[in-house]
Amino acid sequence: MATVYSNCIGIFLFKDKKLVEEKLFSRNEIILYCPKLEKGEIIPPEEALAKKHDAKIVGKEKVTPRWVLEILSDDRYREKIREANIIITKRKVAGSVKKDNLIIQSANSIEEADKVANNLSKRLREWYELYNPEFSKSIESHEKFAELIQQKTKKELLDEINICQEETMGADLEKEDLAPILHLAAEISNLFNLREKQIDYVEKRMKENLPNVTAVAGGIIGAKLLAKAGSLEKMALFPASTIQLLGAEKALFRHIKTGAKPPKYGVIINHPLVTQATEKGKAARVLADKISIAAKIDLFKGEFIGDKLRKALEEKLR
Amino acid sequence: MRIKPHKFKGIYVLQKGKRQVCLTPSFVPGRVYGEDLHRDGKIEYREWSPTRSKIGAALAKNISQLGIYPGSKVLYLGASTGTTASHVSDVVGKDGFVFALDFAPRTTRELVYLCDRRNNMSPILGDARHPKQYAHYITTVDTVFQDIAQRDQAEIFIRNCDAFLKKGGFGILTVKARSVDVSKKPKQVFKNVRDYIEDKITIVDYRELDPFEKDHCIFICKRK
Repeated sequence: MATVYSNCIGIFLFKDKKLVEEKLFSRNEIILYCPKLEKGEIIPPEEALAKKHDAKIVGKEKVTPRWVLEILSDDRYREKIREANIIITKRKVAGSVKKDNLIIQSANSIEEADKVANNLSKRLREWYELYNPEFSKSIESHEKFAELIQQKTKKELLDEINICQEETMGADLEKEDLAPILHLAAEISNLFNLREKQIDYVEKRMKENLPNVTAVAGGIIGAKLLAKAGSLEKMALFPASTIQLLGAEKALFRHIKTGAKPPKYGVIINHPLVTQATEKGKAARVLADKISIAAKIDLFKGEFIGDKLRKALEEKLR
Repeated sequence: MRIKPHKFKGIYVLQKGKRQVCLTPSFVPGRVYGEDLHRDGKIEYREWSPTRSKIGAALAKNISQLGIYPGSKVLYLGASTGTTASHVSDVVGKDGFVFALDFAPRTTRELVYLCDRRNNMSPILGDARHPKQYAHYITTVDTVFQDIAQRDQAEIFIRNCDAFLKKGGFGILTVKARSVDVSKKPKQVFKNVRDYIEDKITIVDYRELDPFEKDHCIFICKRK
């Protein structure tokens, strides 16, 4: 009885459990046939060979007989198998990049840019306050602060907050000493700009790829949830209670370990519906429910019902 | 130098102060994951860390048999970025071969770099749960080593041994109790795994990997 078997390096014909014919693949054939073999399909040259010798094909329904693999474990195939595997694995890795991965990277990047901008802003204020503490105290937003000190002189800024120059606790600095402070301010402004651009990008991609989640949770919060979950598949398979607590892992495990108070919300705390609610825990729970539904719809490419979910949510929380 | 052969072929030991460390001769010179290098004449050795590698931990726990020898063909399930796999590749040497399988594209990317440099390793991106999906990328092997933290890891192990392990070949299974069942005591989990695989394969040795890996154990088995 003749048998035909093909693997990543070629097609083999066996008679009475002995190899009688082999046809090794070229590089292009490897790339062409391997994905089909993986799916369990029978490829045309295999079929042709089987017909010629009236042989049985080892197809998808059967586990590959061990004697076949035994024969192919011969050392002369070793290098060829290795080469084929490297080619195929490289292609598979390249093919595994999805929009998910891009959204996750940019969401993480935004989070890190936030942290860096905050840290640097604190340093900038400490430094600048040697020169002009009153203005720094009068303005809350880091972003505006970094902008304004670049645009206006000390005198103009002090005039704005009605303090005359004799009253200030700041020292007069030479131009040379002021320059590095303003350089730092310029870099911080750039950082805030970068963050804006990345937020635009994430929101656009989220709207295209996870329309329902975006409608319910908003682009940035949705992207952060996605990043915490790891992929859309994982996020859609999470129960709502897990989504509610994504980003609150530290508090959750502290609760499990020591019996401290359980957390009520993770990254969804920043959602307007939760921030505005009087009962935040309740709002977070209801919101997580709807996000979970939305994620499932997005994964299985259902209809767009994000606006309905959002409306139901707003009514419930009013 | 005080580098001496270990009781297992292909592995060496070095007395480092009070402690003894295991080494493997570099198949390709250079570091793989930031490990310490030692030199004896022309030969370079890489230190096999017991805290970063489960076989390293098993060696430190003085296991009685390893099942990986120079010239072995090994199927390595759960190779990740190739920390342990690189040492296995050192041990099997130029006559042996390592099929390194992993499921995650991100870690496999690092693995491909490693396999590009070592001509006795081959990367496979696939799911160890479904041997059929990658059967046409590999051949039969002398040793199946599995280090995947999954709930059904014992089943996966048996499935792969059935499909690819030669008669008399070795199967090595590391079990992470925490990913099989968090609610059970690790000892109980290990016992359940043992009961499950005992019918299908002969257990040669068993070690718990404390203190190097918490709640882990390793089974060395032989195919009947």
